[in-house]
Amino acid sequence: MNKFFLPIFFFLITGFITGTTAQERRAIEMVGGARSFISNNNINVGDITPDTTTVKRNTGGYALIDLGIDIAPAKNVEILGMFRITNNYGGFWGAGVSFDVRQLWLKGIISDVVRYQLGDLNLKQTPFTLYNPHADRPDSLPDIFKLQNEIIDYEKFYMSNTWRSQGANVDFGINVTKWIKQLNFNGYLARLNATDFASVPDRLMGGVTAEVVQSSHLSLQYNGFWVFDVKGTVNDSNWYRNSVNSIAANYTTGVGKQKLTVHAEAGKSHLVQTGDESNSLLDDYFIHAEGGFQIPASNLGFTAGYLNVGPDFRSVGAQSKDINYSASPDFYNRYTNAQVVRPLSMMDVVRDDMLYKTSVTSELMTINPLYNNITPYGMATFNRQGVYGGVAWKWSKGIAIQARFDYMSEIRGQGTFSLKNMTRSKLYTTIDMDELTGYQKRFKIHGGVDYQTTMRNSDMAVENVDLKTWQYQAGLEFEFIRNIEFLFGIMDSYTKGNDFIAYRDKYSKVEVFDPMTVEVNQFYPAAGLRFRFLKDHAYLSAIYQSCQWTDYLENTADYDINQFALIFNMTF
Amino acid sequence: MKKISLLVLCLILFYSCRKDEINYDGPGIAEQYSEFKLLQPFARDRDSVDFAAGQKVTFSAKFNKLVNWTITITGQNSNARKILTGISRTIDVTNGTWNGSTTVFPMFRNEPVKAALFIENVQDTFRLTSVIKQIKNNPGVTIADFENGFNTGWVKFIQSGAKMDFTIKSDLLAPQGLKYLNMAGEVNWDWLIGMIDFPASAYGTGNTFPLPSNPDGIYFNCLIYGVQGTNETLVLFQFKEDENGDGTIDPNSDDEYDYQINVNWTGWKLISVKYSDLPCLSNGQPTTPKGNAQHNPDKIGKISMLDLANPADGYASCKIDYIIFTESRLEP
Repeated sequence: MNKFFLPIFFFLITGFITGTTAQERRAIEMVGGARSFISNNNINVGDITPDTTTVKRNTGGYALIDLGIDIAPAKNVEILGMFRITNNYGGFWGAGVSFDVRQLWLKGIISDVVRYQLGDLNLKQTPFTLYNPHADRPDSLPDIFKLQNEIIDYEKFYMSNTWRSQGANVDFGINVTKWIKQLNFNGYLARLNATDFASVPDRLMGGVTAEVVQSSHLSLQYNGFWVFDVKGTVNDSNWYRNSVNSIAANYTTGVGKQKLTVHAEAGKSHLVQTGDESNSLLDDYFIHAEGGFQIPASNLGFTAGYLNVGPDFRSVGAQSKDINYSASPDFYNRYTNAQVVRPLSMMDVVRDDMLYKTSVTSELMTINPLYNNITPYGMATFNRQGVYGGVAWKWSKGIAIQARFDYMSEIRGQGTFSLKNMTRSKLYTTIDMDELTGYQKRFKIHGGVDYQTTMRNSDMAVENVDLKTWQYQAGLEFEFIRNIEFLFGIMDSYTKGNDFIAYRDKYSKVEVFDPMTVEVNQFYPAAGLRFRFLKDHAYLSAIYQSCQWTDYLENTADYDINQFALIFNMTF
Repeated sequence: MKKISLLVLCLILFYSCRKDEINYDGPGIAEQYSEFKLLQPFARDRDSVDFAAGQKVTFSAKFNKLVNWTITITGQNSNARKILTGISRTIDVTNGTWNGSTTVFPMFRNEPVKAALFIENVQDTFRLTSVIKQIKNNPGVTIADFENGFNTGWVKFIQSGAKMDFTIKSDLLAPQGLKYLNMAGEVNWDWLIGMIDFPASAYGTGNTFPLPSNPDGIYFNCLIYGVQGTNETLVLFQFKEDENGDGTIDPNSDDEYDYQINVNWTGWKLISVKYSDLPCLSNGQPTTPKGNAQHNPDKIGKISMLDLANPADGYASCKIDYIIFTESRLEP
């Protein structure tokens, strides 16, 4: 079927472009991208008895092209339709070929005032209402890992903390002359899941942001976010609702040549499933205040903040995780002779888009303490109060340093009256060696350290918690021939200690605490070459990477995965 | 600066709204995962007990965490057992009191007993001994406990089938006292194996039994033993009311209520039913009583007990003891 369809598709596109170009009244642009990924993998399993069950070698890959037609049929209307053709390597004469609609949206402006968009939307409000925090992702990654991470961003439409949805969005602004400068409004309605006409109702997500800009110094904002079932879409009168309402203020002023910014947001959440109110009802609030002080002359900035998110604060839009730790990786998802589920490694987290979600999830997702035990749901992580501070400095010679320290504690005990205290210390640096040394081509060095602690001291020794995670990373990009770079990176994570994993019911209330004792090390080096061309719109990269999982307590079998990958990526 | 102060003030006011945290989320971790410790030893409040005088035995113990516990009290002569269970940190008067009743028959006698405390997932067992000086009384109107043989006022009918054994036995199986009635035999031409009429006149109480008039306040109880590997017995009790008190029960104008028991278990079992819940049956099917259609326990003039079995199935056997009316469900 595909072999007939594709030529017809190209014929239609070509004909349409030709026809419309002749009229010279409509703008049509082809946008999209292409990617090819080929990998050869092998796994070594360090089980007590040799693993003779798992198939050790895995070779595969795909080629895909995203073809988008961006049409502007009128002055204030723009339409984008994007198709994806994917061919898995090994497919022959159409086998393994898939043809999907990847994007479809229409946007425009009514009367030069009201902007609207229908179809696919990238949505974001505040970190407590609707926000994709990428909570488990390191703040800074060496390029050899970043280029793989960017494939996930592209695949899942992650754009500066947005979530992807389908629905309608409208926004407009009004200039006011007296007392206030401007009024801005944004509203959206999107569908989270469709009814099955039996037990699953239609579930929608809506939000409103109304902003009053009083001056260039002060603005106030109201944010409303709702997830709700549509009554009547199933024969069940009970329905789910989660709402978050917040007010925020931004204040900016100059102190001499310095700049002072204050941002504060506070709000309440409400979650209920009617018909089961006694088990499902959760109400709580949050407060967040942050101050920043910039000294432009020194390229120096300081940040300090206070955070208080109640134990019953629930926000579907802000507490959804991008990574689903319950999902299966695209290869070696089981190992050892017993074919147990393989624990996910850093390599999976960095490169496997199969683990990531496109949109928000109504149920609270599983966390993984190996990656983030402090704020696993981002800034909106419930049951946290504490302070944080950070400093960012950039030397004119190309050295940038960022440091941040968080101190958090629980508000309500988990299975005990004793509270956990958590700290996180991060330090990242980027050195532009080309600027520093005058080298004429690209030469950068990255380094970073992330140290997390979780402690609970109780009168009952069994309740004590002591979990520590060290993560460090280093990398370099060295362009030794024009447009050809040597890439190198290394990541290492060491987690040791104990904690209790909360298993929750469908309303996110804790059913049981499962004790966890770990001592796991993950060592993830990678090296490769990258050839950039088409003004950096395309690259061809060859990477060899290896990830070693070592479990000192032998709760899981040790393994290492080695991968050679050839990646071609292009956007146009 | 005023604006910042105002903002901070608003946040403080907002913060003060949160209710104090008085609990924690989820099940207690210490309850789940700490090692078991006995904080207060397993004990009882008396060495010997007179249940007939209303005395009780209270067991006590205290643990460091919530545990699933079981106390098993075993009669050293009768092998009767009483089982108390609970999930708690302490055993005390609220959950560890024994009034002399029985969980596993036979019933206790005047005998020494041993009590053992078992804790789930704990290897150790904690044991005590005690003595029953007098077993508990069960106030009520006893119809038959067979301790004194057949009452001469009872009317028996026993078929002349094969392997017939419709006699009072005295052996270790007796659930109450020392004796019980064995009902066994094979009658291949009729459902009826044997029957006994218990007329009120046999007890010297006039034309009716000395029972209260409120049918919701009177329970009929008996102990029945099902014999493994025999044909299923049906025990049918007929409660015949003499509504006009003339000493004659007229099946066409007096109420009769029935209770049919399918003996489909092995061992002794307590049967207990509220009199007001009894139906009127005809050939095992509910029907309308012939009298005033009101349950009048104070007008019961005769109780008939029929031992029945399907004639096509062969030999049937069961045993019965302690037929008694009580004001609440019998706690033997």
